[in-house]
Amino acid sequence: MSHNNALLDFENVHVKVEDKEIVKGVSLTIHPGEVHAIMGKNGSGKSSLSNALAGHPAYEVSSGTAFLDGKNLLKMSADERSRAGLFLAFQYPVVIPGVTVANFMRTALKAHRGQDADMSDFRKLFRAEMKELGVSPDFATRYLNDGFSGGEKKRIEILQMAMLKPKIAILDETDSGLDIDALKKVAEGINRFHSDQTGILMVTHYQRLLDYVKPDFVHVMIGGRLVKSGGPELALKLEDRGYEWVEAEMSQGSGK
Amino acid sequence: MNIKDSKYIIPDSTPELELGPDWLKERRRSARHNFNEQPLPHRGIHLWRYTDPNDLIAFTHKAIDDVVDYNIPNEARKNGVIVTSLTKAIESHLELVEPHLYQLVNSESGKLEAENSTLWRNGTFVYVPNKVTISDPIHLTHHIGKDTSSVFPRTLVVVGKQSEITLIDEYEGGPETEENGHAHINGAIEIVGMEASNTRYISLQRLSHATRMYQTHRARTDKSATMLTIPLAFGGSLTKQNFGVLLDGAEAESRIYGLLFGSGHQHFDNHTLHHHAHGETNSDIDIKVVLKDKAVSAYTGLIRIEQETRNCEAYQTNRNLLLNPGTRAETIPELEILNENVSCSHGATIGSIDPLDIFFLNSRGIPTPEAVRMIVTGFFASTLKQVPEDLRERINVFVAERLEGV
Ligand SMILES: Nc1ncnc2c1ncn2[C@@H]1O[C@H](COP(=O)(O)OP(=O)(O)OP(=O)(O)O)[C@@H](O)[C@H]1O
Ligand SMILES: [Mg+2]
Repeated sequence: MSHNNALLDFENVHVKVEDKEIVKGVSLTIHPGEVHAIMGKNGSGKSSLSNALAGHPAYEVSSGTAFLDGKNLLKMSADERSRAGLFLAFQYPVVIPGVTVANFMRTALKAHRGQDADMSDFRKLFRAEMKELGVSPDFATRYLNDGFSGGEKKRIEILQMAMLKPKIAILDETDSGLDIDALKKVAEGINRFHSDQTGILMVTHYQRLLDYVKPDFVHVMIGGRLVKSGGPELALKLEDRGYEWVEAEMSQGSGK
Repeated sequence: MNIKDSKYIIPDSTPELELGPDWLKERRRSARHNFNEQPLPHRGIHLWRYTDPNDLIAFTHKAIDDVVDYNIPNEARKNGVIVTSLTKAIESHLELVEPHLYQLVNSESGKLEAENSTLWRNGTFVYVPNKVTISDPIHLTHHIGKDTSSVFPRTLVVVGKQSEITLIDEYEGGPETEENGHAHINGAIEIVGMEASNTRYISLQRLSHATRMYQTHRARTDKSATMLTIPLAFGGSLTKQNFGVLLDGAEAESRIYGLLFGSGHQHFDNHTLHHHAHGETNSDIDIKVVLKDKAVSAYTGLIRIEQETRNCEAYQTNRNLLLNPGTRAETIPELEILNENVSCSHGATIGSIDPLDIFFLNSRGIPTPEAVRMIVTGFFASTLKQVPEDLRERINVFVAERLEGV
């Protein structure tokens, strides 16, 4: 069932990879203006969930429902999901040899708008966004992610988000691999994007990004399930104490 | 005589045997002799493993002229560059032609080369004097007619010392479908890059799908000269092209950066040869192949380094991108390296587009057909960087057209 005013709303989503169930029934509702964070151990299924929502062909949503701004996400192809306002910043962005960042960006914008942007308008916008994110203009003519450092790839992902202006952005460990200054730039980029019209779902391991981009809700994922939710204080507690206490709570809960 | 056999015999009455001055007639006669006496290439020979030589012998030895348009930049004319038919050049500039004609591709090169050496009619001659740099390309366009025909283009290019040119050699036309006829082309190209010259030779083959082409290209690079050879192939039903460069002086350099895009039932069988006949020379090859529908491609790349030629570098890469099942690509690197004092490598890949690449582009709103176009164009990009911009744009249009319906 779709909540009327939710931007992203999914219920009891199960995700299979190569016939193995990785995500085992996850529900979440994100309203406009909200920032959610998912934290969780390595291999708990955070990227699988993110990829499945974006329409990755290897991640099958085997059951559950998902709505993007009221529209049935699971009926849309990956490119339709993007044009409908969903953005995923990848944990591991892909290299596309021979395609420049500028050409890629222009083609993506054209796909979103249904028409080619005026070349000089595009350049102006693109340069301005690059500048804001502290990305050197040289990147425009470099091949997409080809030879980019880990941190450069993450910045370029945020550049894409800034240009495409989605309704909802899923940021899968966008903070990993960033140096301290880059983290700040990226966080500023996320905050510029964020408004009372947009929603953010951040997947992260550390508090440091959350210091800049304040989450309204923090969820803990373990073994393919969201096992605990809370406010920003939950992230601090996890940073302090790790996941053992959550797991202990879980086993007590299941022992009852 | 069996009618069927006639295609393997050039008769004594062939009019081309009477073309040109006596020395040329003599060369044609001995080439005819070589053609008639030589057996067809044996299918067991590596270069003929993928193509039946019967399919490449002309259906008729009634040759017609090679119709060529010349587009010559003004600066070339002003600086004494000659672009004319070989026949005319033999009349007016014999001293420029005679030392080079038949030096690199002749009746000893093979049966089909003997066929061309006998039957070429008008031919094309490009001559660049010493110390001339022409920045705009000289563009030759060979137009093949819409009816059944046999054409034997022969091109001789001489680039003088310390000169620099770009030559675009384009082949277009031919019957639209096989019901309308069959065109047959057997071409020979000889290029001489004299000391310290820089030559960029771009071959663009966009013949109809009812045209068969056999073509042997040989270039010689002298001391400190560079040769950049860019074969771009899109057309033909059956195409067997052989691009070879002889590195013949210290610090000579040759690069062959080619691409082909096959579709339908097209068959491509390509060779490259880098022959390091002199020490201190270097070469590089990068051949890219994209195939869709039921197209097939075989590529054989030979690097030959002589025993006494030391300190050579030779590299070779062949990458094949198959857009759907049903296409087939073969890649055969061959190294004949007769001394150890060289640096040499070769690599080959055959694969399809990674679905993750498509997904990545999809995830930014780009629909799959457009994503495929970007990936294929990107695959070709480093090759097309080497050609003038307006040609690059034309090629990208051919690529986009060919991708329609994928
Ligand atoms: N394409 C795939 N093929 C096979 N197994 C996969 C694939 N993708 C994910 N998995 C498996 O699913 C499980 C969850 O992986 P996922 O990448 O979703 O974890 P994660 O929570 O994002 O971990 P991390 O914090 O390390 O990024 C892991 O055991 C992983 O090995
Ligand atoms: Mg992950």
